[in-house]
Formats: sequence, C-alpha cells, structure tokens
Amino acid sequence: MKILAKDKVQALLDKIAQQATVYVPMAIEQGSGFYPWNEDNKEKPLLLDALNVYNSPKYVVFPQTERMYDLKQQGQELSIDKTYEDSSERVIFGVRACDARAMRSLDDVFLTRGFEDSFYKARRDNVTVIGNACYNPGVNCFCGAMGVAMTEPETDVIIRDTGNDGYIWEAKTEKGEKLTALVAEFLVDKELKYPEAKSFTTQVDYEGVAEKLKSMFDHPLWQKMAEPCVNCGACTYICPSCHCFDIQVKMWGDSGYRFRCWDSCMYAEYSAEAGGGNPRPTGVERFRQRFLHKLEFFNERYGYSLCTGCGRCTIVCPAGVRITDIINEIKEVDSSVEL
Amino acid sequence: MSNCNCEQPLVPHIVEVIDIVEETPDVKSFYVKSVGGGLPYQVMPGQCSMLSLPVGEGMFSCTWQEGQEYQQYAIKRVGLLTEELHRIEVGQKLGLRGPYGNGFPIETSRGKDMLFIAGGIGLAPLRSFIKHCFKNRSDYGKITIIYGSRSYNDLCFKKELFEEWPSQPDTEVHITIDNPEEIWKGHVGFVPAYVEELAPDPAGKVSVTCGPPIMIKFALQSLQKLGYQDEQIVTTLEMRMKCGIGKCGRCNIGSQYICLDGPVFDLTQLKQLPQEW
Ligand code: SF4
Ligand code: SF4
Ligand code: FES
Repeated sequence: MKILAKDKVQALLDKIAQQATVYVPMAIEQGSGFYPWNEDNKEKPLLLDALNVYNSPKYVVFPQTERMYDLKQQGQELSIDKTYEDSSERVIFGVRACDARAMRSLDDVFLTRGFEDSFYKARRDNVTVIGNACYNPGVNCFCGAMGVAMTEPETDVIIRDTGNDGYIWEAKTEKGEKLTALVAEFLVDKELKYPEAKSFTTQVDYEGVAEKLKSMFDHPLWQKMAEPCVNCGACTYICPSCHCFDIQVKMWGDSGYRFRCWDSCMYAEYSAEAGGGNPRPTGVERFRQRFLHKLEFFNERYGYSLCTGCGRCTIVCPAGVRITDIINEIKEVDSSVEL
Repeated sequence: MSNCNCEQPLVPHIVEVIDIVEETPDVKSFYVKSVGGGLPYQVMPGQCSMLSLPVGEGMFSCTWQEGQEYQQYAIKRVGLLTEELHRIEVGQKLGLRGPYGNGFPIETSRGKDMLFIAGGIGLAPLRSFIKHCFKNRSDYGKITIIYGSRSYNDLCFKKELFEEWPSQPDTEVHITIDNPEEIWKGHVGFVPAYVEELAPDPAGKVSVTCGPPIMIKFALQSLQKLGYQDEQIVTTLEMRMKCGIGKCGRCNIGSQYICLDGPVFDLTQLKQLPQEW
C-alpha cells in the first residue's frame, strides 16, 4: 500500500498547487473551512485532524454566488455575450465522508433527472476530491445513522490516518489515479494496519423514519418542533447538501449580469408568488419543508437521505433546534393524526 | 434552426416579439420567434417556458405554437416582470428558455370526450390543448368548454370563445362571469357551481381544469361530486419557480418538482402528494 508521511503533506499540497487550486481545511480567524492553499494561507493552521470543519467544501462546486452570464440591453435589443462556466482545475484535500456524501447529492440534483446544470458540471468535472476517512466520530456526528460509511468517503482518493506512521493513500477512481501519479514522489510503499473505528456517541435511529414521514405531513408534532425556530436560515446556509438557489440580476444602466446565489426555504420570499400568495405562509410550513426535504422527499426522489449527519446545523442554530432530536421524536411519536 | 437549451439549460435564447395583442385590460398575448426567424423550439400543449427581460425571469405556459412559426404566450399583469412585459413593443428582444414540464395528456386522451374547465387567465394554458383538439378533430370526441372570469372584460380570447369554438362540430362552449353586468346576457356565477349545474356526464370523458388555485380546488370537488374518477380529473399546479429544471428546489410539493414533473397532474397523482397545493 501507499503511505503519505505526515511531514510530506505540505510538499504534496505545494506540488498539486502548481497545477490546480487546492482547498484544504484550515482555521481562519474564528472560523474554519476549506480554503485555497496559497501564499497567503500557508501560515494558517491546517486542520487535517479536525472532523468536519465549520464551512463545508460545498462552495467549491456550488459557490454561494455564481455569475452565470452577462446581459446587455440597448433600446429593444438584448444580448447575452458571455457565460461563466468555470472549468479550472481544483483539488479538495481532506474531505470527510459526510461532506463527500453531500457532494454526491449535489451531483444527483444538478446532473441527473433530465437536465445537466452546465455551471455545476464545469466545476464538478474538474474537481478531484481526496477524502479523509473518519475513525473517531465527534459529539455532533451521526453520519452512520444516515447511511454514510465514515471510513469510506465517496471520493477519488481516500487517506486514512494511522497516527505517527502517516496516511494510507488509496486511489479510488481514474481521477484519483491521475492525482496519485502526480504526487508519486511523496508516497512510499509500506504495509500498515487500518486504524480502528470508534463508535458514535450521538444516538440517532433513522431506520424507517422516511417511510413513516409519508403519513405525517399534517401531524401536530411539526407545530411543536418548529416553535423555537426563528427561520433565520443559518442551518440551510451551513448545510453541505442544501442546494436551493435563487436567480438574481445586477444591472448598471444597460448592462449587467445574471447570477445565482444560495437561497433558503426558511424565508417567506422563497416561495412567495408574483400574485401575492404563498403556499408556505408561516414558519411552521417552512420548517416542515426543510426537514421533510432532508428526511423524506429527497429519499423518494433519489433513494437516500439529504441529511448526511454532519451535525453542523445543530452547532449553528441559535434556537437549539437539533435535527437528531427531530429524527428521534418522529421515530417515537404515534404517527396517526388527530384532526 | 435552434432548439432547446439542453447544453446550457439556465442560459436563455434571445427571441423577438413579432406581435402583441391585448386580450383583456390586464392580459396581453406575446408572439415570439427566434431572432432571424423560425421557432425557438417545439413546445407541447401544457409545457412552459421561462421568459425574461433584464429585470427578471418568469415561467409562462405556452398558449399556442403547434404548426406555427412562432410561440404565443398570453400573460397577465401581476408583478414586476409582467408589468415590464406589458410595457414593451413589437420588435423587443426577450430571453426565452425551455421547454419545461410534462404537458397535457394529449396522447392518452385520444378517443375520449373532452371537458375543459378554465377560470380567468387559466384559459391561456388550456387553449393550447383545446386548439390541438380542434386541429386533430377526429382524434377526440365531444368537446365541452366551461369558462369563466370576473367580468365580461376579463374573458380572454373572445373571438374564439364566442365565434370560432362554438361553431366547431360536436362542441359546446359555456361561459359565465362572477357578477351580473348590464352588457352580459349570459350565465352569472362561479365556474365550479356552473360545472355542477351543467353536470357533464363523466362517461368516456377526460376533464382538464386550469385556473386560480382556489377555483381549481372547488372545481375538482364539483367533478368528484358528478362522479368523475380520479384518473379522469386532470389539472395544473402552480408554484414559484426560478430554475425550471428541478434544481433550485423551490417549486416542490412533496417529492415532486412542479417545473419538471408537472405542471400537469391527475387526481390520482395529486392524492399521493402532501396537501400543500
Ligand atoms: S441537515 Fe444538518 S446534519 Fe444534516 S447534512 Fe445538513 S447541516 Fe448536516
Ligand atoms: S438555524 Fe435554527 S432557528 Fe435558524 S432556521 Fe435553522 S432551525 Fe430555525
Ligand atoms: S423552479 Fe427550480 S426546482 Fe422547479
């Protein structure tokens, strides 16, 4: 097997950075997230031992705002001169299994079911992902309950931390093989034992919940669970798999551009109609939409949950809403609705 | 000839407005073709397109295209984009992308009697199906159209309603307005009540209903009362849309995206969705 010694990591990142933008988990100011490995950032602490950093790598393939095309209007004329599909080479290093799963759900949304989103595709086709297998899940982690194998991130390369001996390096896809060839000089052949996986501390039982939710749309539990929620949307912005976006325009006089940006089902404007109506008039319907999308609707469409168990929404929520409690409550409640 | 936006589904084609017709005080029909002539792409009855001006994009059901070199969209003035559209003149260039959605069941309805029920601007999408039936008259049985608007002035496509359609073979057109008016000698009352009053026999029929959500709700109840089975009841749903291609998330009802899996559903399908419509 191939081994990457820990003191070779920086040199390896330097090497890849010669041909691609490399995103690595780092601490920047109070936050943490995936940032480009460049001269400015090299001094910042690398967070390869951290589990899922605060900001997921979602924005590398699906930026928070993404310019789509330029617009020009002159009298009655209208033109679109330039579109902005970005196909530059990118590598994301150290992605955890939960975030890798989230990227798979973005792939399913943006690239399947009739239409391929050209902006997403340009980025995604040119991204190589190096996953960092988890062996010691954190207090907020529950990916296992959501059907994610923490030691087998769905990525092009998997690295496995064996401690002082370094990382086991496994290429999993063609892209992974290509990257491995590029960094061959930093890898040595040696046999090491796989690390041992510890168990989850957060107990969640999602078994059968998606199915059960099918008959719980009008259940009074939603009222109760939504009560503390202030519909701030923080949970949706931090979520690695939330994919909703808005399409907006910036015009200066006659020219400008159309762009898309992350949007949140927690906001009233999200579903407000031009005529003034809104099918989700209060916070309760919006709260229900978010959690049903994560835990039921996505399953029906794509066959697995849109929650990957990363635990981020629990950390950011100012109101103490915990998706794990929601799952457990649904699991336990009597699903029959009293009307 | 250009076709769908398959390669870059979010980037519009540029089309030209070749004619604008005022249908009612707040509804105008826009006729568009590709810049340089020809059809932007094929739209089936019931399918939609995203029309845009710099100010924004909006999803509109195609009102008529079949066999023509242009597409027609009848659009009601309700918000920012539609205000702007109502101000443009012939020759204006627009953004257009599509076609989106599943469209009406034109194939599976063949050989059946057709019952079309519409309220207000709801006649715009339905008209593409109605005209399809007239164009292929022998493929469909008896045609019954029940249509209503707030007032006489708000009735769309008057020439067709009062002259062309009633003179078609084996066709009945019933028109109603919500409140009495001096110039109006016809039926007065809401569409769902009128449907019950006329009580068209469900045997061998497919019903297709388009209109404001509240009208749809009551009209579907009326049809059920008259004995129509779930699979004989077809309607369209509306939700706020942005992408039109099942990506941006906002137009879902349950696991279905109205832009992609709809907008046309029959009651069997609707009953499997959560009651959010
Ligand atoms: S819903 Fe919460 S726990 Fe699930 S993937 Fe999103 S942020 Fe993570
Ligand atoms: S972060 Fe908490 S309060 Fe804010 S929208 Fe999400 S669940 Fe509601
Ligand atoms: S409009 Fe974006 S998903 Fe339907």
